[in-house]
Amino acid sequence: MNKAVWTGIAALGVVVSMASPAQAQATASGSLSVTATVAAKAKLTLSAASITFPDADPDVTPSITAAGVDVDVKARSSAAGSVTLTVLASGDLASGGNSIPIGNLTWTSSGSGFQNGTSNKTTAQTVGTWTGSGNPNGTQTYALANSWSYVTGTYTVTLNYTLTAP
Amino acid sequence: MRRASLVIVAIVAGLAAGVRPAAAQQVTDTATLNATFGGLARLTFSSSSVSFPDADPDTVPNIPASQGPLTITAKARTSPNGAVTLTVQASDDLRSGVNTIPASRITWTTTGSGFVNGTLSAASPQLVATWMDSGVRTGTQTFFFRNLWSYVTGIYTLTMTFTLSAA
Repeated sequence: MNKAVWTGIAALGVVVSMASPAQAQATASGSLSVTATVAAKAKLTLSAASITFPDADPDVTPSITAAGVDVDVKARSSAAGSVTLTVLASGDLASGGNSIPIGNLTWTSSGSGFQNGTSNKTTAQTVGTWTGSGNPNGTQTYALANSWSYVTGTYTVTLNYTLTAP
Repeated sequence: MRRASLVIVAIVAGLAAGVRPAAAQQVTDTATLNATFGGLARLTFSSSSVSFPDADPDTVPNIPASQGPLTITAKARTSPNGAVTLTVQASDDLRSGVNTIPASRITWTTTGSGFVNGTLSAASPQLVATWMDSGVRTGTQTFFFRNLWSYVTGIYTLTMTFTLSAA
């Protein structure tokens, strides 16, 4: 009789231990905070490091056109931030003691946000403006007014571009 | 009546004490010890936060988390052949004021048996790992943030909620 009682308890125990896990769905959870920092940033890429104007007859070619320069703008700014690209000449076109006024160097452009303009050595001139972050690109084609009045020589000037993303 | 009661008490007491007949004989009984283990799950992380620093999208198109790989330890008790799953869901898209970046711009790679690579979602839980049976499993999850020029500047945040389930 004593053994029968124990056996009964053992059988019951098996049933309980098999049934218990099937009824339980155990869960555990945890959280992690995520932070991503996106700061203002600007990058400007020009397809050429220099542009060259060949010599030409002023009567035949009153305006000498150089090969187009591809301008690639990348900017991160605030949502309403004004992204601007300007260009400022280092001076007039110069060849020794001779010079050609920088205002004779103009450009036309293509691409959303880009605009045409005239070079200046004192005030930066706007090449393009955009609103907010993005990657606009376009082409800027320079032209140099050709005149019989120019003194012969090889004239140079440096054009400094500035891209600003607030 | 009193005598009958005493006899009954003596018999019950004798049975309870396991008294054997005077002529001793070997008797073997079996006692089964029962221990019940219910479903149980526990989840621990090596860090409580994940952060992505600012970087140039051209040079770092996918920014790894500053903390490096996140070590995850999942402990689970389940029924035989029971499935154990670990999922993660974002509370929302990455948000900085009114500006947002989709949570899906955060992805992860993993190491460890049962762990899988994936992409974060604010819409539904995404599988991080799955196993069978009870056990302790450890793996790592390395988070990456897709870095694009188009993002509006700001400090973006969200919360990731991990859930470990043992069926």
